[in-house]
Amino acid sequence: MQADRKLLKDLTPELEKTSTGWYITFAVFMVFFIVGVYSLILQIDKGHIVTGMRDNVVWGFYIVNFIFFMGLSYSGALISGVLHLFNTGWRKPVIRMAELITVISLVIGPFFIFFCIGRLDRLYYLFVYPRIQSPITWDVIAISTDLIGCFIYLYLSFVEDFAILRDYTDLNVPPWKKKFYKILSLGYDGSPVQKKLLSRARTVMASMIIAIAIIVYSVLAWIFGVTLQPGWHSTIFGPYFVIAAVFSGTGLLIILMWIFRKVYHLEEYITKRHFVNVGVLLTVIAAFYGYFTFSDYLTKWYGSIKMDSILIDKLFTEYYTLFIFANYIGILLPGIIIALPRFRTIPNITVAAVIAVLALWVNRYIIVIPTLETPFLPIQDVRTEWIKYSPTWIEWSLTFAGVSVFAMLFMLISKIAPIISISEMQEKDEAEVLK
Amino acid sequence: MKTGTYIIITGLIFLSGITYPVFSQEETIISPYIQLQYFKDSDDLRSLKTTLTYSHDRIEIPLAGMSISFYSGDTGRELLGTVSTDEKGVARFELPQDQDLPVKNDGLWIFRTEFSGNDTIEAVVSDLSIKDVKLDMVLSEADSVKTITITAFTPGNDGDIPVSEEVVMIYVPRMFSLLPVGEAWLNEKGSASLEFPTDLPGDPEGNLTIIAKFEEHETFGNVERASQQKWGIPSVNPAPVAHRALWTKTPPMWMIITLSILLTGVWGHYLFAIISLIIIKRESKKQKKL
Amino acid sequence: MKEKSGDGSGESTRRNFIKKIGAGFGTVSIAGITGSSVISGSAKTKSGEKILLLSPEGKLVEVDRDDISPAGKKTADLKAEAKKGLPGHKFVMVIDLSKCRNARLCVDACQEGHMLPKDHEWMKLYLLQDDRHTARYWLPRPCFHCDKPMCVSVCPVGATYKRDDGIVLVDNQRCIGCKFCMTGCPYSARVFNWKDPEVVLPEGHVYDPETNIPPVEGTVGKCVFCADNLRKNILPRCVTACPMGVIYFGDVLEDTVTNGEETLRFSKLMTDRAGFRYREELGTLPNVFYLPPNNRMFPVERGLEGSDEAIKGRYKEVGPR
Repeated sequence: MQADRKLLKDLTPELEKTSTGWYITFAVFMVFFIVGVYSLILQIDKGHIVTGMRDNVVWGFYIVNFIFFMGLSYSGALISGVLHLFNTGWRKPVIRMAELITVISLVIGPFFIFFCIGRLDRLYYLFVYPRIQSPITWDVIAISTDLIGCFIYLYLSFVEDFAILRDYTDLNVPPWKKKFYKILSLGYDGSPVQKKLLSRARTVMASMIIAIAIIVYSVLAWIFGVTLQPGWHSTIFGPYFVIAAVFSGTGLLIILMWIFRKVYHLEEYITKRHFVNVGVLLTVIAAFYGYFTFSDYLTKWYGSIKMDSILIDKLFTEYYTLFIFANYIGILLPGIIIALPRFRTIPNITVAAVIAVLALWVNRYIIVIPTLETPFLPIQDVRTEWIKYSPTWIEWSLTFAGVSVFAMLFMLISKIAPIISISEMQEKDEAEVLK
Repeated sequence: MKTGTYIIITGLIFLSGITYPVFSQEETIISPYIQLQYFKDSDDLRSLKTTLTYSHDRIEIPLAGMSISFYSGDTGRELLGTVSTDEKGVARFELPQDQDLPVKNDGLWIFRTEFSGNDTIEAVVSDLSIKDVKLDMVLSEADSVKTITITAFTPGNDGDIPVSEEVVMIYVPRMFSLLPVGEAWLNEKGSASLEFPTDLPGDPEGNLTIIAKFEEHETFGNVERASQQKWGIPSVNPAPVAHRALWTKTPPMWMIITLSILLTGVWGHYLFAIISLIIIKRESKKQKKL
Repeated sequence: MKEKSGDGSGESTRRNFIKKIGAGFGTVSIAGITGSSVISGSAKTKSGEKILLLSPEGKLVEVDRDDISPAGKKTADLKAEAKKGLPGHKFVMVIDLSKCRNARLCVDACQEGHMLPKDHEWMKLYLLQDDRHTARYWLPRPCFHCDKPMCVSVCPVGATYKRDDGIVLVDNQRCIGCKFCMTGCPYSARVFNWKDPEVVLPEGHVYDPETNIPPVEGTVGKCVFCADNLRKNILPRCVTACPMGVIYFGDVLEDTVTNGEETLRFSKLMTDRAGFRYREELGTLPNVFYLPPNNRMFPVERGLEGSDEAIKGRYKEVGPR
């Protein structure tokens, strides 16, 4: 497979050599990872008593992180899938990143569930003794399906690139990498038959990914929505979680665009135009997300149902700062930054994305924990940790470990496959040439 | 090993003496409470029951493993038997059917139960005088009115003497206890009748056991007469054995159908993509051969 | 793990020993039984073999060997029996709020009978006040064994199940500890074993979901209506332990409930005393009914006396929410 020489020159250096900076950053993340492993061992040894979870708040940081990471996986579904179906041209440089976010966060998310499970030695019971009436079984099925689907989709997008790299004779990589590209490219050489097969498979998988992603995230929402707990028993949860997921995924995409653009010197390919476009996407989704949030809380606040009022009270007193940050600042700030042309610069948009992603993490926290702190039968206890949830260092360290693994996996993959899809960029050039 | 266990157990007893202050000094003598009861069941089998307990902090604590002796007779006391109390402090002794028990002139049997005591527990005795009584129950039904007729007689020198001015309790035995259904006062002819409620549930066929008894009577003891009748409403457990619901073993049909459709649909598409990849590989092999 | 069991050869030594001390080796739950209960001993002890056990509180307990594990029954058989339950019955509990004074003997009996750590309360006592104009009342809350149990619906591996006799059990060998059932239960009836409870098990103990001993780390536990007792026609431990006879237990199909002393017709009790269920509108159809706290036997404050500070502190901020 031949490719434009300029593209190859710009997008392959990272596959050939690694900078010291990369090693240092990787080492830092590795440290967090090792601390995380240590705290996990401690947790398995001493039991979940070392976390901040107790009999009322039985789901804490781990579940929040789980939902958060699963939500990030949405970026692939949207940017890659939807925009693929609409054949939008400008998205081509960012497709690969989006798909990678999807797969990596889908791999990391379930680990946080594992941390929350009391008997890890019985995890396989979920597959041996499943009860399909349980939302968790729906979740197990959905996430497994989504994971496989996204892997297939990612691989489909790698095939062409691996073929290009295999045929790029000037590529200065160790022999094992060359062999790797050879095997995984499946002998693809751009013939019309193969091209058609690949393209059809990609279209089919793109539509599947969108459908699956919606199902996965709705199922995740229904784990909360079908219970009777105040704050969770909301009919809006399914679509609400889907929108929030798209929001966080898009935000993370902007952040990664900025990082890789800077570090890998891709200013030519990822331009302000991309930031603005994805930023506009972010703003539109922020508007939807804000609308859903407002709708949910308005109906809770307006009605006089006692348990709803108690919960709203708690959110506006104990959790006031977090609530304002997640549901006001997280929506308005990104919106303002991107909507006003004066503020629309690449650094600003990235800051807006960071705020959006953090706000969404806090939003998940506010959904999960305050409800568990206001059960129907009041918590009558003297021990503070049984009344109010406060995460311990173990939960913090595992959270950071999860983020570190995300970063490390991204860094590793960027050394194997180009972070901007060469074949996609090529197609764009060809399309322009044909014009 | 045995001595060692013995020592450890003794040591722990002293520790548990904190909860039972009675044992903090070894010289404390326990004053137990002994209760003797007489039973005659529906098959005319007679038995004696002794309960040995002691009161600590207003809680009755049973004394287990104690040797209880049963005697009958007044001046010429005869040992009937010796039984050990079980973990609830109860010792039961069945009186043999045909054995003639000595009676006093007023036709009373005298029973005595005795605990001879030991180093730490006082000896106690309890006496009981019982007059034998014949209790009978007749169940009749007319115009859907269910009536129980009870008669009670004591054996006398010239025939049976009716028991009057006494109360007989009517029960229906349930899983954990006896459900009181009514009380019957015996008239001067020694009989009483009682209307039985028509809305009591029985077993799935409507069978019930009805028990008439003298309960802890000062002269007669505990005497009962039981009878089985189809006087109950048939009870049916409303929960069907296996049905489809969220909380049962078998899921609702629509869930199974929806899940199957979704899974086959999605994984079918995956299969399509994988097959495409396989064909791509085969195509390249074909190309190479050319 | 320390285990003390009978030596076998020490039969007479033990008898002498017992006679010597004369201690009551009954458990606290038996202590509540007065002479009027319909339980009789037999002329001989069951198997003749008594075993001295050490309970977690350091108290010596003497139990007949037969009571510990039915001869030869394995866990698989016990689990099958536990799933089947006692067909032909439908168990129900009635709690009389007008008599409850927070004596907490029900909590103690339950914890002792199931070898629970002190902070696991399968039976929990709440002090509630719905509104500033309404009365305060003590609410003992066991598991309600609902007819439409949310906890059973959401369990992903079938570790908790509802039997035909109405009882909802937990299989601690199947539970994976996902805690979904705990968020599913609107009555906060379940507890989680956050750490190893370190229970001293009797020798030859076989796991039986009906007793649910011992609590297993990383799994969920809850009130089981003492299903093991029900099999022997014995009332649950909390019922017999309550000094006020607050808790009645029985069978809806027999239309009878008893608190150990009084036996009443369930339907009549409900109609006469206007029984109700907690939060009926949630629709889970609980099998525990409450009798309203009118014509109280004691003022509510009685329940706050006599408890230690840790318990009293729980109810400091009780008021309408």
